[in-house]
Amino acid sequence: MDIAQNKARIVEVIKENIVKNIDGVNKADIDIEKSMKDYGANSLDIIEVVSCSMRELNLKVPRSELTDIKNIAELADKFVQYLN
Amino acid sequence: MDNTMAYSLADFNYNDNPDVLSPPADFEKWLSHPGVQAAFSLFEQPLMSAPVIRTEVINNFDHKRRKVINLTSYNYLGLCTHPEVIAAAKAALDKYGLGASGAALLSGTFDLHIELASKLAAFKEKEACVLFSGGLAANMGAIQGLLRKGDVFIMDEKCHKSLIDGGTLAQARMLFFAHNDMDSLVMMLEKNKGVRTMVAVEGVYSMDGDLPKLKETVEICEHYHAAIYLDEAHSTFMFGKNGRGIGEHFGVEDRIGIVFGTLSKVLGGVGGFVCSKASTIRYLKCYSSPFQFSCALPPAIVAGVLKALEIATRDSTLRDKLWENVAYFRKQLLDMDLNLGDSASQVIPIIIGSSGEKLLSMALEIQKRGLFLQPVDFPAVPANARRFRLSVSSALTKQDIDEACNIIHDVIAVGLKN
Repeated sequence: MDIAQNKARIVEVIKENIVKNIDGVNKADIDIEKSMKDYGANSLDIIEVVSCSMRELNLKVPRSELTDIKNIAELADKFVQYLN
Repeated sequence: MDNTMAYSLADFNYNDNPDVLSPPADFEKWLSHPGVQAAFSLFEQPLMSAPVIRTEVINNFDHKRRKVINLTSYNYLGLCTHPEVIAAAKAALDKYGLGASGAALLSGTFDLHIELASKLAAFKEKEACVLFSGGLAANMGAIQGLLRKGDVFIMDEKCHKSLIDGGTLAQARMLFFAHNDMDSLVMMLEKNKGVRTMVAVEGVYSMDGDLPKLKETVEICEHYHAAIYLDEAHSTFMFGKNGRGIGEHFGVEDRIGIVFGTLSKVLGGVGGFVCSKASTIRYLKCYSSPFQFSCALPPAIVAGVLKALEIATRDSTLRDKLWENVAYFRKQLLDMDLNLGDSASQVIPIIIGSSGEKLLSMALEIQKRGLFLQPVDFPAVPANARRFRLSVSSALTKQDIDEACNIIHDVIAVGLKN
């Protein structure tokens, strides 16, 4: 898979976990230029979405490197860097 | 490149080891890294005498026993070894024995507990007070006692884990507003109009030492009919003309529905307390696990704390000395161009930036030189603002502060410039 395909797959996984963990969000409506906070997630929800996504994708980004992530797209980009 | 040190305790919570008693495999591997071991060596270092300014510590990293200047213990007014406090505790030990031998509800309440609760309520100008055997237990127990599933619990994002744990226990819907950001708070209250809501803020934020925007918070909460829970763990008995805390300091204490404080810092013992209307406390007690199912405070501790309460509040001498020391310490630290954040209290962070390695090497060096000043790393603080955290005490002498500042200059100020 090339980077674009990887990112697309990662975005899908993140979106599915957002829908599972944050009430009232439709997968089709998720704009990846927004942050999870914009969809009503609190910090605990975000930790859960990130953890579940990393496990499904079999990667482990140090949480200390997620501090400056501003939106879902940047999260996916970070995951791409760590994809084995 | 080895990025082991980029990981932290935030990365090993999930555990899929089929043996529940075993940690995740990658946690053990992470722990075995020499850098991680060095960081862990700073945990659980045994103090060999009282948590006063000049004490002794066995440093885990080299197993040496050192005389240290202690800037880490929460002995803010030096009361944990005050001769009157010790005498009161000793007398109570002789009369009541060691422990309470039961939970407060059934058999663990002594006359001393009733006296302490009553005096704390009177001091905080509330109708009633409930005691807990720990500060964390008090926050958890109070939130559990009052909030229910579906209630909204809005906290400042820097609120203590004990409040979050309480919210989890109560199954409340938890929201975190951006630190001291009133627009963020209003947005959350607006979205949850009509739902039972409590808002929690702290008197002094424990990692930053800054104060809440309490007047604005009170006005906003009154507008939205949300209850206010004020956690005064690091502010009660120190702020306000009479030492009643941040509520008094900002002139809004009669508008705060429920206040929490600890018995482990200024009062030199252990435990927590919550004050509110009599009907609130009576109800809360009925549904609070830490109150109902945990052994009550040892009577000797209660006796010591009663005496400490009396000393801390008989006049402003100790508070005045504390603030004098804070001003003197701050001036010296600022003269070194150190970043103290927005601290406006006796809790003073020295923010060193994003390098965990630098924080660790400075922390080890500082302790080798006899300064017991612990680092605070991610995830307890943001990864780009790792820090040391100073607890100033009224018991510090000018000489103590000068000596401490010399070490801070040589290790931290110089270290940051290099």
